[in-house]
Amino acid sequence: MADIGNDVFFATIPELNARLKSKEFSAQELVRAFNSRLAQLGGRYNALALPLPEQALRKAREVDQDIKRERLRGPLQGIPYGVKDLLSLAGQPTTWGAKPYAGQVFNYNATLIDKLAGVGAVLAGKLSMVELAGGGGYRYASASLTGPGLNPWDRARWSGGSSSGPAAAVAAGLVSFAIGSETSGSIVTPASYCGVTALRPTYGLVSRYGAMALSWTLDKLGPFARSAEDCGLILHAIAGSDSKDPGSAGKSFYYTPQYARPLKDLIVGYAPVDFSQWAEPAARPAFDAALDVLRQTGIRLVETKLPPFPYGAVLSTILAAEQASIFEPLIASGKVDELADAAQIAGLKASLEVPAKDYLKAMRVRRLIQEAFSRLFLEVDVLLAPGRPGTATAIDQPLDRGGPVAAAAPADPGFRSIIPAGNLAGLPALVLPCGFAGNLPLALQVVGVPFSENLLLAVGKEFQARTDWHKRRPPGV
Amino acid sequence: MNRKLTRRQLATALTSAAALAQTPSGPPATPEDELKAARDRLKANGAALARQEVPMAAEPAFQFRA
Repeated sequence: MADIGNDVFFATIPELNARLKSKEFSAQELVRAFNSRLAQLGGRYNALALPLPEQALRKAREVDQDIKRERLRGPLQGIPYGVKDLLSLAGQPTTWGAKPYAGQVFNYNATLIDKLAGVGAVLAGKLSMVELAGGGGYRYASASLTGPGLNPWDRARWSGGSSSGPAAAVAAGLVSFAIGSETSGSIVTPASYCGVTALRPTYGLVSRYGAMALSWTLDKLGPFARSAEDCGLILHAIAGSDSKDPGSAGKSFYYTPQYARPLKDLIVGYAPVDFSQWAEPAARPAFDAALDVLRQTGIRLVETKLPPFPYGAVLSTILAAEQASIFEPLIASGKVDELADAAQIAGLKASLEVPAKDYLKAMRVRRLIQEAFSRLFLEVDVLLAPGRPGTATAIDQPLDRGGPVAAAAPADPGFRSIIPAGNLAGLPALVLPCGFAGNLPLALQVVGVPFSENLLLAVGKEFQARTDWHKRRPPGV
Repeated sequence: MNRKLTRRQLATALTSAAALAQTPSGPPATPEDELKAARDRLKANGAALARQEVPMAAEPAFQFRA
């Protein structure tokens, strides 16, 4: 058996693909190594919901046969990955991270899992998540069937939510890439906290068939990976029309960042106050340095303001109304009380009482928000903001209390609402690790017009050609 | 009993009071309190929406498309 070494756990997709094709090691050897690592370290971060070692080895055997016969299926062939445990996998438990669904088994695969199987990717395990993706509003990181997501950079810190497992598993090298979901912040936040590159695709670009629904008009699935390029390769495989997803945009995605506009022609909108005042003081030097790197690419940074809307209220109202309809049976049956987090239980119960007029008003304001962003993107090509203003929160810190109390909060809100705003308008966002505050990672988010993923990835690729933050590894892994 | 405070004692007392006022209150104590807090958040959202002017022609984004 080939000596695979520790580096494979942190190798990019093109690197692994090249080593598999050159037969430096087989797909089975690679999968065995990842299976052992998942078994050994998955529990250390509460990142693993369900290991799939035998299924993964069967798939790896197929891949080896294919490679032997030169049936090459693209860069993801033989690459081990994980999915957030809200994607159905036929015959295996799909818990949605919640006790009331601990025994749930579907008899079909999510479209995304079938697509990745089609290009030869190897599903190594299902990864942990905040219960029901946290739609009810949770107070503690412990709101999960698998316990609080622990950050590989510091296990006293949270890995972020709701895609806790995908972010932690990629950061710790337990899988090469992972699939998570975002309704409002569930990709951007954990990727920022764990220091991994991640992409929230445009609404409708990736089929959600077979994924737990939290909000039909907000849910998106997207990759966590080692680089912007890896995110592009994964999106290439998972995007596309699907008649089984009513929200499908009917569009494909071809990863071709080389055809994106030159960076020197780009106008990037940002709010300096996000970096100079809203950011935690310890994070400001890293953010300043990251802005300098972007300026060196020739990108023009211009001060911009988000259109003024009550983004939080609009998003919360839409989410509450849609999840109330989705989880009404859970709430009515009383099984909602089996959830781990008291705030989440109360939030779900209260959501049954959202007035129809409020939901309709929120959806009408959402239309105005979309129109306002269309106008904004006539002035700038992309928007730039911190992924989060600071580092991962302490594992026992109440999440609904906010961070450290600012002595004097700036009057200018900057892009503080970029996460709900971007999700309401269905905009894609790329998360790029950009430095550290102490021993904890920080990240930028680059947000674009719908279906501008290639442009975002081109920005990310250039940023990562000039920095190595995305290559850093947590201590002891 | 009247006790005269020194300026330093007064400053310390005021700083402590200000710090206390900034400390977030604890989480609701009972499930009923939690539910009331959740309902209050929904009402606050509804109030924020009510303040937002929307032209009659703005139809809800029922079939949402990015």
